[in-house]
Amino acid sequence: MISIDQGRSFKATLKTWARATRFESLHWVIIGLILMVFALGSIGSERFATLANIFNVQDQLVVLAIIALAQTLVILSGGIDLSFAGMLGLLCVFFAGFNAQDTQTLALAIAATLALGAFLGGINGVITAYVGVHPFIVTLGTSTVLTGLALLHSNQPSGSVALFFEDVVYARIAGVPCGFIFVICLYALTAFMLWRSNFGIRLYAIGNNEVAAQISGVPVKQTKVLVYAVSGLLAALAAIYMVGRFGVGDPRAGVGFDLRSITPVIVGGTLLAGGFGGVLGTALAVILLSLLANALNLMNVSSFYQWIVEGLIIICAVSVLVGRSKK
Amino acid sequence: MKALLNNSFLDLLRTQTVAGRQLRELLLLTVFLVLIWGVTALLSPRFLSLDNLSDILVQAAPLGFVVLGQMLVIVVRGLDLSVASIMATAAVLSIGANDSIVSIVILALGVGFVVGAVNGYLVAYRGVTPFLATLATMIVLQGIRFAYTKGAPGGSLPETFRWLATGDIAGIPVSLIILAVVAVAIYWLLMRSKFGYQIRLFGDNPQSAYMSGVPVRKIQMIVFVISGVLAALAGLFLVGYVGIVDNWTGQGYALDSIAAAVIGGASLRGGKGSVAGVLLATLILVSLFNIVVILGLSVEFQLVIKGTLIILAAAVYLSKSRD
Repeated sequence: MISIDQGRSFKATLKTWARATRFESLHWVIIGLILMVFALGSIGSERFATLANIFNVQDQLVVLAIIALAQTLVILSGGIDLSFAGMLGLLCVFFAGFNAQDTQTLALAIAATLALGAFLGGINGVITAYVGVHPFIVTLGTSTVLTGLALLHSNQPSGSVALFFEDVVYARIAGVPCGFIFVICLYALTAFMLWRSNFGIRLYAIGNNEVAAQISGVPVKQTKVLVYAVSGLLAALAAIYMVGRFGVGDPRAGVGFDLRSITPVIVGGTLLAGGFGGVLGTALAVILLSLLANALNLMNVSSFYQWIVEGLIIICAVSVLVGRSKK
Repeated sequence: MKALLNNSFLDLLRTQTVAGRQLRELLLLTVFLVLIWGVTALLSPRFLSLDNLSDILVQAAPLGFVVLGQMLVIVVRGLDLSVASIMATAAVLSIGANDSIVSIVILALGVGFVVGAVNGYLVAYRGVTPFLATLATMIVLQGIRFAYTKGAPGGSLPETFRWLATGDIAGIPVSLIILAVVAVAIYWLLMRSKFGYQIRLFGDNPQSAYMSGVPVRKIQMIVFVISGVLAALAGLFLVGYVGIVDNWTGQGYALDSIAAAVIGGASLRGGKGSVAGVLLATLILVSLFNIVVILGLSVEFQLVIKGTLIILAAAVYLSKSRD
């Protein structure tokens, strides 16, 4: 379906790269905005443009980046996943509930949490694909159920995790947080998967036109179940990271992430209708939003005004992108 | 049609017409409501006391207002995520700025009107997906509200206000009377007026509605404005019921109202909605909360039941719409 350009010229190489990452002119706009925020932050606060602060931002964006990646995949397939609030809460208390103190229990806990995440996501997918309920309703329902279960399990933060695991999560390589490096690898892997794998190609096909995909022999239902399962798997990764950061499993850890995960996807240029966009836009948007929040924080702008800014960014983004949604 | 002419209830119940289907859905909801009320009454006799039942109805009123607006939006293939934010913002801004009840009501409904108009403008004239437009206004309103109150809302509730939300006339709660008036108005608007015909046509098939000369942008705009105004009204009633103004007034109402609309038979694919159905669904959701408290279960059970119910209801309607 997609072939690699064999041209030797620089321009051809650039084209190949652009195709692989689904780079588009919109991304220049986001990069420009990032530079603007950077300039604004440097003027507004002298602490902003320091290396230590940049590493801090990298630390802070890990969870949002993982969840936004999951949301990108689901939205590309034409669905939506609003179950992260309940999912993260339940997975956090589940993982911390193992009280893993040695490597063996820790490995077991990680494996079990990942499996549970994929399983719960898979349930979303099965109800969406095979019963045919709108994903908005399905994931809203499962989120409510999972929040209830997480709170029934423990009403306040509970459980623990081995100290050496926290050290791994907090570790830095030459100043760069390990979590950030992990996220970059995750994004690269996903981008490659979207570019080269059957799964990735099918995802775009379904998002573009489900009926056409079905007729062309794409296993629509199985692919949908798979994408929700992957979304659950990524949520489990985020939950494990959160427990590593906090040292405890908070049943309310996911509050707000259901809607917060959508902002970077939309600002990054992925269409809510599905089939168009990619992970590079989401990555840039996550960086933009995190840098902006950090700059506003350092400039002592209260979080109340940050909400206004976030809402206006969404309105601007969708108003700019509106021409593309009228395909 | 023959059944309709004979006007026989049982015949109508069996027909495959829209009216017959809606009647079956209503019956299903009523049976479910009676079932959960019956089981609870067996487990705890206190449940069926007049005090408790009227308490459930009064609690259901604010959600009822929101659900009616939400249903209209869903009929035109939209979604209004901003209703909860409108409830709190309208209440906080109007009560913080005024003492007299008339100006409070005017200011609150004005806030609802403006926000609804912004939603409608973004959706109808800018082509923004309703989900994103209302998500954005929800976040912006949240910021405006907190920036205005600096985190701690002020102002005091006039006494008449408390009476409107909790008092009664000849034993019938005032809020229920107002809800009934609004429900009848919405029913007339949706099922009996030209406007209602247009929005149902638009929900069924936007393109054919446009081709038939339906002012598609105008009707989308009006529907969002109605939803905003009703949400503001609900905010006032909720604040009056609770007795204090809070920045998070109405938290959860956005998703609850969507859930109630879907359980009540509105389809997210548009074109379908029933006033009686969504009001029954509202009553079911509020009853569940009351039941969990009365039976002494932990409150979290409510979440588990509610989520399961939402998915089940949607699945049931789907399987029925297929045959």
